[in-house]
Amino acid sequence: MRTPLRRFLDVGAVVVVAVYLAPLYWIAMTSVKPTNVINAPKPQFAFDPTLEHYHTTFERFDFAQAILNSAIIVIVSTIITMFLALISAYALARMKMRGADGMSLLILSLRFMPGVVIALPYFLMAQWTGLTDSHLGMIIVYVAYGLPFAVWLLRGFLLDLPREVEEAARLDGLGWFSIIWRIMLPMATSGIAVTAVFTFVFAWNEFLFALYLTSYKAVTIPVQIAKMIDLYNVLWGPLSAAVVIQLVPMLIVVFLIQRHMIRGLALGAVK
Amino acid sequence: MAVPGLAGSSGGRRQPFLHLSENRIAYLLVLPTLLILIGLAVYPLGWTVATAFRSDNLFNPLAARWVGPRNFEFLFFNDDTFWKTLRLAGIWCAITVPVQLILGLFLAMLLDTTMRGIGILRTLIVIPVFITPVALGLSWRAMFEPIGGLLNYLLQGVGLEKSLWHTHPDTALLSVMIVDIWQWTPFVTLILLAGMQGISPEVVEAARLDRVRGLTYLRRIVLPLIWPVVTVVLLLRLVDEIRIFDVILIITRGGPGSSTLLASMNIYSIFHAGRLGVMAAYGVLMVIAINIVVISFLRVLHRQEKATRQKVSA
Repeated sequence: MRTPLRRFLDVGAVVVVAVYLAPLYWIAMTSVKPTNVINAPKPQFAFDPTLEHYHTTFERFDFAQAILNSAIIVIVSTIITMFLALISAYALARMKMRGADGMSLLILSLRFMPGVVIALPYFLMAQWTGLTDSHLGMIIVYVAYGLPFAVWLLRGFLLDLPREVEEAARLDGLGWFSIIWRIMLPMATSGIAVTAVFTFVFAWNEFLFALYLTSYKAVTIPVQIAKMIDLYNVLWGPLSAAVVIQLVPMLIVVFLIQRHMIRGLALGAVK
Repeated sequence: MAVPGLAGSSGGRRQPFLHLSENRIAYLLVLPTLLILIGLAVYPLGWTVATAFRSDNLFNPLAARWVGPRNFEFLFFNDDTFWKTLRLAGIWCAITVPVQLILGLFLAMLLDTTMRGIGILRTLIVIPVFITPVALGLSWRAMFEPIGGLLNYLLQGVGLEKSLWHTHPDTALLSVMIVDIWQWTPFVTLILLAGMQGISPEVVEAARLDRVRGLTYLRRIVLPLIWPVVTVVLLLRLVDEIRIFDVILIITRGGPGSSTLLASMNIYSIFHAGRLGVMAAYGVLMVIAINIVVISFLRVLHRQEKATRQKVSA
């Protein structure tokens, strides 16, 4: 039933979302404005769009390398995190395990650790192990960074699945691995998609650890963007271009799981 | 898999397999996660606790020695900045969290509808959550620029005074707050929407038939049903606001003066001043504060769960 009030509110929703996202529109515009328009004393709304800032971003700020680093580190760490989180969450949620609740709580509590408190020990540990400024070092750190939240979310999803199917599969002689892989995974697709996306996004946007642990070879996109302001002047054009570039993979991911997002969260996270 | 031959196992719940009980297999499955978290969360935390009781100096590591609670005494009695950062953290959380919750709830109500294309609208609104805070902070800084920035242009357009935004001690905190609230309100919306979608259609229909609408509907029907979700989102936001770092570093570096020197930023500046012991002591206090928040929230959640169960059985 759609009352006139609801219809009015629906129009309101569109307007509110459009206004809310105006800063994004502004950033995207800035990234294609000529430099003299950006530096004008008054904001300009009419201009000839140019791609010069995108060129600058790649040529002067070595952005291709940062994108490659981020891609390697984040994709590999997300895959490892998801695998470890799945088997852990399965054990915590579905198996007879002494102290499962206490352990879940312990893992969850590590999600609330402030980064600045452990960043310096990370730096020292990376020096001892020779993993400073390496992809491997960052991958290990991001696996640890993503695990608590991933385990917690997945455990929520797995707790909700019906027992009967699993019991039947076990009576049919399926092993643990087959049960997780062939029975539980397909039933928990929404939850797994949501968890993977959050793991991916948090690692993609992580800044503090990358700032402490990388300097040249393994610099990720957020650190590279931050470096763009320390040079004599803030170059708003290339900077906006960098923002747009880092946002594109996020947007693709978000639209891919759009169907799962609300449903997935409704099933698991908020229980 | 870590245990070979698992796929061939069969039988009931308690039947031992490879001489391992289900309990043991469960522990084996959790083991990698536990090891990683002990190595990369518990151990570094232990290092920080140990350092908090030493006189470590970044520029003279050989002079490091045990000094007892002296670093904590310094923070409590000799460091004005410490109390200032506490006050700032209080103000910060007391404003950002409620504003995000109220705005988030408002947006969630607007988007909890069956209109065509609502999926796209819901996806669009979450975009801010997915932007790197560093990049977002810089973009907002461009808009804050007192000369040539978009915001002052808009202020003048509606006949208001220009503001110095992040470059003045009086307005810097508010400026960073705006960025943070803008980024994280959609997150609250997303989680609350998930909660609202979980309300059964029968309840919605019954409310409609009883002509329960608007604010009454929100207060009497929606809020009580999604209250556990509200508690969870409140906890997540509160902890993240206590730890806030990226946008502060990018927009103000804690300044001007110390007007935006929140906890994480303060730890970062103490580190740059080379006082590892004091830095660690501050970090330990921060972890304790966060844990108090988390534990009290989990208690409340637990009590809510019990209360719901009693209501159901009654």
